[in-house]
Amino acid sequence: MRINPPDAYWKKDVTLFFSKRIALIIKFIYPLALIVPVAASDIPPQYAAAVIGIVAIMAGTFGAGESLTIDLNDGILARVALTPLSPRRIVFEVLAVNAVLDFLQLLPALLIVYVLNPAPLAWVLAATFGVFMTLLAANSIGIFIANFTTSPADVLLYATAILFPLIYLSGFFRNQNPTGILATLRDFVPFAYMNDALKTVFGLTTGTAPFEVFLYPTIICAVLAGAVLLTAPRLLSIRP
Amino acid sequence: MQPALEATNISRLYKSSGRGVKSASLTVAPGEVHGLMGPNGSGKSTLLRVLSTAIEPDSGELRICGADALVEKRKVRARMGLMVDRPTHYNDLTGWANAYFFARAYGVTEAKADGVLAELFDYFDLAEYRDDRVKTYSYGMSKKLALIEAMAHGPELLLLDEPSLGLDYTSQLAYQRKIRTLAAEGVAVIVASNQVDEVEALCDRVTFLHGGNIVAEGTPEALISTVQGVRRVAAILRNPVQYAPIEEVSGVQRVVPEGRDLVVHCDERPGMVADVVAGIVRSGGDIVTLSVERPNLEDVFVKLTGEALRRED
Repeated sequence: MRINPPDAYWKKDVTLFFSKRIALIIKFIYPLALIVPVAASDIPPQYAAAVIGIVAIMAGTFGAGESLTIDLNDGILARVALTPLSPRRIVFEVLAVNAVLDFLQLLPALLIVYVLNPAPLAWVLAATFGVFMTLLAANSIGIFIANFTTSPADVLLYATAILFPLIYLSGFFRNQNPTGILATLRDFVPFAYMNDALKTVFGLTTGTAPFEVFLYPTIICAVLAGAVLLTAPRLLSIRP
Repeated sequence: MQPALEATNISRLYKSSGRGVKSASLTVAPGEVHGLMGPNGSGKSTLLRVLSTAIEPDSGELRICGADALVEKRKVRARMGLMVDRPTHYNDLTGWANAYFFARAYGVTEAKADGVLAELFDYFDLAEYRDDRVKTYSYGMSKKLALIEAMAHGPELLLLDEPSLGLDYTSQLAYQRKIRTLAAEGVAVIVASNQVDEVEALCDRVTFLHGGNIVAEGTPEALISTVQGVRRVAAILRNPVQYAPIEEVSGVQRVVPEGRDLVVHCDERPGMVADVVAGIVRSGGDIVTLSVERPNLEDVFVKLTGEALRRED
């Protein structure tokens, strides 16, 4: 399969991703630089898990949101929207390829975490899958935000407003043992499942089973992705 | 013969400014090159956006190649080639990668894409730079790449917004030759441009827009014939002047600033040019160059609207 020259939107993104060497090196080094020292330290497992979670959420949300708003500002996205390509297909490709590329950036760091913190295979797979689902959800949020602004700076603001409550609900730092409505709401946040899986990898016990990490985030992310695809015609429309 | 484009009573007004286009009707036949002219704010860009299916009109009908363009957008887009006024590309990709991406997006097969693009890159003298990143391209090269992207899939209708702006003279000639070739093959072309020479040389028919309305339509010859008997005296001045005294010269019909130029429309009579020059000098004008020209489409527009096509905004 030929990636360059690109004959599909996702191939264009892959080509661009690998086209800038220094940026590429930085993209792979920064998750290592943030995650490996944490994984190698003896900080409490919940906080080690939280650091990985935060890196994944930020990479996903800001990556998709900012690259889309930059393309909107350049006018190139509006130009692509005037080709016969389906807007939903374009947005699906943006979502899928960004999540996969973000995952590739985090994978080396995750592998080092697993080497430094050996855990049952089921939990290693669950944590890896949970991270990917988190990236998918975060990219969905980034794309959703790009519907409302063409300013990369605004993406930071809106993302913060959306992500803080979700991070709180997920129990990264506080609300680690929620009850009542907070516990119910937590079940609808895909980040929470990743957080539980990573906590288990770092040696904590949670009430979540590995199959739950595979099942519920998949359902939640499918709904999120479907909702984001519905916004595609608006996202690709010419803004006044 | 079925029109390539048939727009009927297209209206689209922006709520914020109240500007836009009102009840515009336009028909373009296959093989016709049609010029759209109008100053900033005339509704030209809005009309182009509607015709390119980028925005929907508030009311009206639009058929492109027989299909309802307001319903079958993707089908219509596949048959249309589009060049927006500001060339936009993926700057970190090469020119070739950009063109290939768009060609494939428009449905050019993998087997054909290389051949078609190689021919166009060669034609527009971009072959040497095809593997350079677009961010290293000059504005003119970017425009040529946009032309290639608009033409590669063999569209039945071409919509070109200010296509020759920024092109060097040789490239302009090449572009005009290409448009004539495509038109001879049956491609309908809409050129939005205020380059009077280009539109006169290239277009079979011209539509003038002003204040959101179509104010005139016809062949360039027919439109220009409406201003026969008028002389066009164009002066470049070293300094701006109050031109009211020039308007008082006997035989002067109107004085229009066109960018930095001052254009005086006046009767054809002996001594007229000398009187105009005297008027300019009396106004304090220091003339750098002066030319007396035959009337052109710019003069038609001025006669119709009292405004110049190109204003110094």
